[in-house]
Amino acid sequence: MFGGLAPWIPILFLITLAAKFWMEPRGYRLRSVLFKVVLAAVTLGAIFFSYGSVKGIEPGVSLIVVLMSLKILEAHTAREFQVMVIFGWVLCLCGFFLSQDLAVALCLLVAFSLLLVALIQFHRGSSPGAFWSPLRLAGKLLGQALPLVVLLFLLFPRLPAGFRFQIMQPSSGTAGFSDRLSPGSIATLANSSQVAFRVEFPDGRIPSPAAMYWHGVVLSHGEGFEWRAPDSPASIYPATIPLSGDEGIRQWITIEPHGGHWMFALDWPSSPPAGASLAPGDCLWSREPIRKPRRYEVKSSLAISRKELSSRERRMLLEVPAWLSPAVRELVQSWTSSSANPAAVVNSALQFFRSGGFQYSLSPGPYKERDLDEFLFHRRLGFCEHYASSFATLMRLAGIPARVVVGYLGGEYNEFGRFFLVRQSDTHAWCEVWLPDKGWQRVDPTSVVAPERVNLGLDSFLARRAIANRTSNTFARNLAQRPIFTKLRLAWDSINYAWDTRVLSFDAEAQQSFVAEIGISVASPFSLFMRILIIAGGLLAIYGGWMRFRSRSRADRVKALYQRFCRKAARLGAERQPWEGPLDFAMRAADLVPDQSKRIRNISNTYIALRYSREPTPSLLDTFVKGVNAFTFATRGRRK
Amino acid sequence: MRKHRFSRVSPTAGLAALLFVMAAMWYAAASQNNAAAYLLLFCLTSVFLISIPHTLLNLAGLKASAESVKPTFAGDEVSLPVEIVNESRATRSAIALTLPDSGSPREQVDHIPAGKAARVTLRFSAPRRGEHPIGRLCLTTIYPLGFLRTSKHITAPQRYLVYPKPAGDPNLPKARTRARQNKSSQQLGEGDDFAGVRAYVSGESQRHIDWKAVARGQALMTKQFSAEADGLLYLDFAAVPFSDLEERLSQLVLWVIEAERARVSYGLRLPAVEIAPSLGHSHFHHCLRALALFK
Repeated sequence: MFGGLAPWIPILFLITLAAKFWMEPRGYRLRSVLFKVVLAAVTLGAIFFSYGSVKGIEPGVSLIVVLMSLKILEAHTAREFQVMVIFGWVLCLCGFFLSQDLAVALCLLVAFSLLLVALIQFHRGSSPGAFWSPLRLAGKLLGQALPLVVLLFLLFPRLPAGFRFQIMQPSSGTAGFSDRLSPGSIATLANSSQVAFRVEFPDGRIPSPAAMYWHGVVLSHGEGFEWRAPDSPASIYPATIPLSGDEGIRQWITIEPHGGHWMFALDWPSSPPAGASLAPGDCLWSREPIRKPRRYEVKSSLAISRKELSSRERRMLLEVPAWLSPAVRELVQSWTSSSANPAAVVNSALQFFRSGGFQYSLSPGPYKERDLDEFLFHRRLGFCEHYASSFATLMRLAGIPARVVVGYLGGEYNEFGRFFLVRQSDTHAWCEVWLPDKGWQRVDPTSVVAPERVNLGLDSFLARRAIANRTSNTFARNLAQRPIFTKLRLAWDSINYAWDTRVLSFDAEAQQSFVAEIGISVASPFSLFMRILIIAGGLLAIYGGWMRFRSRSRADRVKALYQRFCRKAARLGAERQPWEGPLDFAMRAADLVPDQSKRIRNISNTYIALRYSREPTPSLLDTFVKGVNAFTFATRGRRK
Repeated sequence: MRKHRFSRVSPTAGLAALLFVMAAMWYAAASQNNAAAYLLLFCLTSVFLISIPHTLLNLAGLKASAESVKPTFAGDEVSLPVEIVNESRATRSAIALTLPDSGSPREQVDHIPAGKAARVTLRFSAPRRGEHPIGRLCLTTIYPLGFLRTSKHITAPQRYLVYPKPAGDPNLPKARTRARQNKSSQQLGEGDDFAGVRAYVSGESQRHIDWKAVARGQALMTKQFSAEADGLLYLDFAAVPFSDLEERLSQLVLWVIEAERARVSYGLRLPAVEIAPSLGHSHFHHCLRALALFK
């Protein structure tokens, strides 16, 4: 919740709050200016000391929290209270700069509302009902504000990209993998349930989860277990893949911020979304780092259409480290000697992994960069990264261009939101080999070692193994897998998804398309702004009129109706004199307008009952309204 | 007739702070392109906008009327009871009442339920002697959020009287001989024999207040004791040994009080008015009123 704030900052806040609660009833106050200045200087120094600078989001937020803490200690007057509430709202805003998670957002909404309640209660003074009444009013305000919030959110002119100054982003919390693969780098992600991205298939063409290989980073420089992406990817070769008709699978992907440039799509992405390009290795590369949830549409084709490999590429994709042991070379030699066909070599390599007693494990023990022999011939225990990198090395040794791909595998279907959710724990590494007649082919050596991993997803795979080994807390695990909890989790996920796609990714472009869609043909923000003003003003007027109508006193209404009756009677020749009581007037008017005498008497009697009886029945008012209306209707157009 | 003018709306200092913060929030949200921050900003803006009709209508249906004010001496505190009636069908909260023409401190009524009334007493120090109009009663409210202030002025028709400040020599002047004619009459005042009670007059000594009656919840009463009267006393404006008009009036007021307390029958002789010697509550106030309105 506190993001990357230094731990002493929330503690300082709580301490000052407690101190204020202690001081206030005892009448102690912070009066010494010198003490205040020293306190401020010390805390500011502490911030600088904790972060090493005062620039960036976290020191900025810390600064606000600290200032607020000091203000709490000092505040005493009504105005200071108001300032603190406003300060609190600013802190809510800061919360959104640290995290835009839905859970955080809900917490901040609660905080925002409670601040509102506090402000209202502060102004209410000693009115009865210290908790529920202000809460009710705050709820009322928020409820009435809701249409305005929606209106403003949809139509308030957003500034397009270009007007930017980047506050330094929070350094911590960027999840996901990097453009390097080293032993254990994926295994550390396997326990992270953080969301990587969510996918919708708008056309309904959904591949099976076992075939959902989400293409991420392509690593083409290998040194045994250490693999990395090309240094300057754009300069190596242009990736030009013509669109092969309409056969691609369309995906709407909402990616969670990870701070890097890569984006994901089923292999192989054929058309890059806006703001991204198709980088060498056929992976998507965002021009700007992804620092907030982003939604994009991408199309993937099942086969890659490029059928040629330049000699330079081929050379690069065949590079093998010189330190490979003779045993490894011998192994590869045995495959290539039996068949020169690359496809057959691939098969024999897979066969080697399948029948060689290899085991799949999250914790295979430490491997060093050059421990290929140890893995292939002795321990034979590894995670997907070990299999992928060793397989690619072996293929290169056999003269088949190969590369390692890091991405995600599978995804969890959410029936509420009709989308697939891919988590960090779905991170996977596999290989791609170049076959002369087919082009790039995906080969996943892990699938032959542990087929269940591919079919079930890592979570279920691990769960099964855990049950088999009885190593983990089975009760908690069983409880967590009860259908009700699964349902709840899925529902929460789908709300999260809606939050990401509908709210967080609503920016200037989305607004423009929305405005065009609802048919407002305006381009300038100014006219949009004027429209908002008009609509908001109208809404406020309606609210005001409604509230006025609701609270208008009954006596006023009765009086107004009676006055209307008197005006009408005056037009008929019976003018009420200022000194005349309603009874006297009724008698005189009945004489003057004989044909309406019964009505006049009735109206007057009801009026007297309404005005002067202690507890007039509500139905009396209706009778009165009807009577006056009937009278005006019956005498319409008549004049003396 | 009371005159109800339209409510007026004005911003409070808090509004400036709020607007500043909203502008800052907008800048932060726009520069980071942070939709969640925008959402918070819009929540804040909308809640503020929605609070405008709430603040505006918080005075609707409220009527304030001043009640009669007891005369006081200049320099003392005037207490002005005001009744605020809520004729609407909604509860009204946090209503402040001020008297802009007299500079009274504001009095806050936290809560007036629908159809009920609240009573507030405004206190302010009495200005110069004379009769003063109450002027305007000002109802203000900043409820519920405190960023806007609605105010409504109601002109109260009543006037209040301020007696001159009692000052000078407390010793009564010697009674004239011709006042000794009706020596037989008994005078009430500070004597030995208890002779009943009468209403307490502000400015009197508190020694003779009937505290037991106060404890029973009754109004302040002064115990009276009978004594032989010394004679009649004419307090003459011309005989006051001061040259300044206000000082003379103050002296006369003090003498009136002392004479009333001593139960010495006294009369008042001003250049334009002459009040025959008498005693008692209404006579006392009659004299003071004449002094207050002296031109």
